[in-house]
Amino acid sequence: MNCDVVICCRVSPKQKASITRMVKEHSGKTILAIGDGANDVGMIQEADIGVGISGMEGMQAVMASDFSLPQFRFLERLLIVHGHWCYRRISKMILYFVYKNVTLGLTLFYYNIFTGFSGQDLYDDWYMTMFNVLLTSLPVLSVGVLEQDVSSDVCLKFPALYQQGQRNICFGWKRIIGWILNGILTSLTIFLLNIYALSPSAITKHGYTADMEHIGTITYTSIIWTVNCQVALMISHFTFISHILIWGSIICWYIFLYTYDILPPTYPKIVFHVFTEQIGPEPAYWIVTLIVVIVSLLPYFIHIVIQRSFFPMDDHIIQEMKYSGTDVSDGPMWLREQERSKQMTQVGYSARVDAKIRHLQEQMHRKRKSFYSS
Amino acid sequence: MEMDGGSASAPAGIEADSVSVRQGRSKIIYQFTQQNLPACKPVLSPAWVISIFFVVGVIFIPVGIVSLHASQTVVEIVYRYDAECVPESFRSNKLAYIKDSSIPKNCTKSLKIPKDMKAPIYIYYQLDNYYQNHRRYVKSRNDQQLLHGLKYHDTGSCAPEDVNHGLPIVPCGLIAWSLFNDTYSFYRGIDELKVNRKNIAWESDREHKFGKQVYPFNFQNGSLIGGASLDPNIPLSDQEDLIVWMRTSALPTFRKLYGRIEEDLDADDIISIKLLNNYNTYSFSGSKKLVLSTSSWLGGHNNFLGLAYISVGASFILIAFVFMLLHVKNPRPYGDTTNLSWNWKSMSG
Repeated sequence: MNCDVVICCRVSPKQKASITRMVKEHSGKTILAIGDGANDVGMIQEADIGVGISGMEGMQAVMASDFSLPQFRFLERLLIVHGHWCYRRISKMILYFVYKNVTLGLTLFYYNIFTGFSGQDLYDDWYMTMFNVLLTSLPVLSVGVLEQDVSSDVCLKFPALYQQGQRNICFGWKRIIGWILNGILTSLTIFLLNIYALSPSAITKHGYTADMEHIGTITYTSIIWTVNCQVALMISHFTFISHILIWGSIICWYIFLYTYDILPPTYPKIVFHVFTEQIGPEPAYWIVTLIVVIVSLLPYFIHIVIQRSFFPMDDHIIQEMKYSGTDVSDGPMWLREQERSKQMTQVGYSARVDAKIRHLQEQMHRKRKSFYSS
Repeated sequence: MEMDGGSASAPAGIEADSVSVRQGRSKIIYQFTQQNLPACKPVLSPAWVISIFFVVGVIFIPVGIVSLHASQTVVEIVYRYDAECVPESFRSNKLAYIKDSSIPKNCTKSLKIPKDMKAPIYIYYQLDNYYQNHRRYVKSRNDQQLLHGLKYHDTGSCAPEDVNHGLPIVPCGLIAWSLFNDTYSFYRGIDELKVNRKNIAWESDREHKFGKQVYPFNFQNGSLIGGASLDPNIPLSDQEDLIVWMRTSALPTFRKLYGRIEEDLDADDIISIKLLNNYNTYSFSGSKKLVLSTSSWLGGHNNFLGLAYISVGASFILIAFVFMLLHVKNPRPYGDTTNLSWNWKSMSG
């Protein structure tokens, strides 16, 4: 267990599996096993991640594995590009899901403070049903499927980025609690701003006041806008699919609201014509939505501004380099950073020896220079 | 914005040939499966941050000023009358006063108009500590019955106010049963000001939710009177007080439209109000207020929105300046390499 590399030969499948198990138990780390033959099946299934190579020895390994590759060399791409991307995507997706449901649910709890804790919902039932089905689920799918912090060739050139996953940077406790706090703060902002801006005085030119349906619909609109714009702030790789899904979800909400309230009054109960007649034409609706969305997104925006300006992470700096083109204009710097990022990930004995030799050579070189120049 | 067409690190020759023959939709599908879709990768630089904050601040402040101005042009008079309209002898036992139907509930008060008020002037009654948003209360109505009347029988949701003496109640439910029944009339000198009590409910309610052929039946006939009674000869679609009351409000402090005065009132006019203090809010320490208000394009008198916009706009501009100072003091060169994590380690260790 203290070795960096162990070579076994002439091992049976059961021995391969038990070696894998031993490493898993003793190190406590995530184990990946890769193999191409039927005798590797035990090992592949024992490991946390099994990779099968399809080809000469048949398809048994492929059928037993989690991932399959056609050639061994693609393992590098699997880990460093797709592993890195998937780690970031899944972390962002899960944390965002928690955030948006916290935002919606907590507004209902705050509202109950004002209803004598009787359990009355602020929003119509169908609004809440549509929330996780149609109105906010698709943008986060675009994050989970398409998000890339850096492109694939940069991932391969800078393998040190893969360590973000090993160090659990994107899904540590700080981030989880941070997103939940973001949700709490967002829900509080949305709720309080809507309540104080819309009652008790009239909201229309003709003197009508806002009822539960109006305040509910306006608050819900603010939530939909905020939650979808939050996705836009989270994404660093905007494809046309992301745009369609994010802005399309918001437009879907308006289409849904319009359709729902022109149904005959026995279906939507109280919210009949709430959008077309009652709040849609009112400037108060749109003005309140604008300020609520901007103020709710402010904490997260300030966080990413401060992070990017004063405590940038590796992928931010690489994004900046690519954006400003210094990777092309300052070629030697780009190559040098690539070499440096690779050095960190090598754990072999010979690499350390090489580094030590290089260090000593530099020292000698300096001493020689000072000797000759003095 | 950088447009990244994406270059995969795959065998170059084969890739180029196969991409060139793909067109249109299959090209997009190919790019999707290879995760090479053309994309926008915006990077948040200090220039963008400062300009975003500045622009939003500069937009918000005028919007806030306009909203605040609209709210300030509204003249509003709020007058609480539930304590003052109880005669002296009953001040210590208001509940006995309100429940005794033999005591006359007339009350005359006068108000001075502080500023010119242009017609139409809206009259509201405001109730405090009245939980119209309680779940059991909100449930206690039946929309089908409001539209179809006695033809509709399934009024279980209105219990216990669904049946009385064996006969169904139209309109059923607690919301209708607790209909507000204070009335107000206004006099300037000896002339009565005409109060328009039509069109106080939303048009969609009057046209589509309350039946034009549905008449009140067996209403407020029980032993416990909750509020106003309804004229059984007027269809529900014309009973606008009921329609306004049945729109349950969101918060325990709410206003409902009573009517409007179609004449201008001048500053320093003395208006005398003759009101009937019928409604019982004393048993739960609620309060009743009469509100006279003009309106603007934004609605009633609510400074909150204008002030919120102005303060948010000002703080955004402040943040823009602070950030500019910080950036000028400690600039981090764009894309500099000293912050890369592998460089920290080599510098420190």
